[in-house]
Amino acid sequence: MERLITNYYETASIILFGIGFMTLLIHNNLIKKIIGMNIMDTSIFLFFIAKGYISGKEAPIIKGAYKGVEGYINPVPTALMLTGIVVAVSVTAFALALTIKVYDKYGTIELNEILEKGGD
Amino acid sequence: MKKILSVTLTIVFIGILLFALSECPEFGNISNPANNYVSHRYIDQCVKDTGAINIITGIILDYRAFDTFGESIVLFAAAISVIVVLNKSREQV
Amino acid sequence: MKDEILREIGKFIIPFIQMFGIYVIFNGHLSPGGGFSGGTVLGVSLILHRLTEEPHRASTGISEKAVIGFMCFSLMLYGILKGYSFISGGGELGLLEIPLGTPGRILSGGMLLPLNIAVGVIVCFTIYTFYTLFDKGEI
Repeated sequence: MERLITNYYETASIILFGIGFMTLLIHNNLIKKIIGMNIMDTSIFLFFIAKGYISGKEAPIIKGAYKGVEGYINPVPTALMLTGIVVAVSVTAFALALTIKVYDKYGTIELNEILEKGGD
Repeated sequence: MKKILSVTLTIVFIGILLFALSECPEFGNISNPANNYVSHRYIDQCVKDTGAINIITGIILDYRAFDTFGESIVLFAAAISVIVVLNKSREQV
Repeated sequence: MKDEILREIGKFIIPFIQMFGIYVIFNGHLSPGGGFSGGTVLGVSLILHRLTEEPHRASTGISEKAVIGFMCFSLMLYGILKGYSFISGGGELGLLEIPLGTPGRILSGGMLLPLNIAVGVIVCFTIYTFYTLFDKGEI
């Protein structure tokens, strides 16, 4: 159990995932559900980027002399998560556009009122 | 009733994930399984192959430029679908 | 909140924001930054110009066809450059290629600078499109 306190980045990331998931389930408003989805995305990025750190080494930009292989942190998880951030932005924008269309048709954003008005 | 069920489900789910996290390797250790020959090859040959000083730019725009191409396509597709959904010149879509 | 103060300050400060965005894009392979963050800064400057101008004037002078045309053109340019790099085998076959140059200068690294500019243009116009469609209903 003390491993959870040593790896506090990963523990915080999973607790954020739980908070985002509960926000997605509890609230009735559609905008709050989209906020919960965005929080879950951000927690996964924190988990992956924390996996690439090596203690004592420096950032992967070569300034001055080249320090060899053992002088820099692992650059692969950071480079892979750049794509993920852009995909999260695109999904949020598309979800907000669909929310505007739902508001135009039903006149409300609360989910229980939409289900009563004739959604199926 | 629904809120109590969702809170219980979330706590069970996060409990299982935290139990799995207590078996993960240590943070910042050099002998992690994630630091293997792939990152050594990228750091070694980056300036010779690409000419970029920023190693991460050399990875996303030279070694793995196809992934960046796919991500640009995702951005473009999201923009086009938002244009189509929010178009005001049609009466009913 | 007075509109004239915001408009005058906006006219003064927007060229500096655009200059900073272009600097981040062009130095993408020498320091942290690159196409994505530089493109976001450029897009934010276009949003600021759209926010602070008079309501009855037209948009920033860029029509809808021009925005979509720029996005399509830079996406196809990225595809053609990367496809050519695939076919020529990454420099093994000996076909015509952009030379690598000395590391540390801006004009170095072969295809890195055109690809960075293409990605920056796509991100800039996408962020601008997201704002104007949600606010006004048309570009």
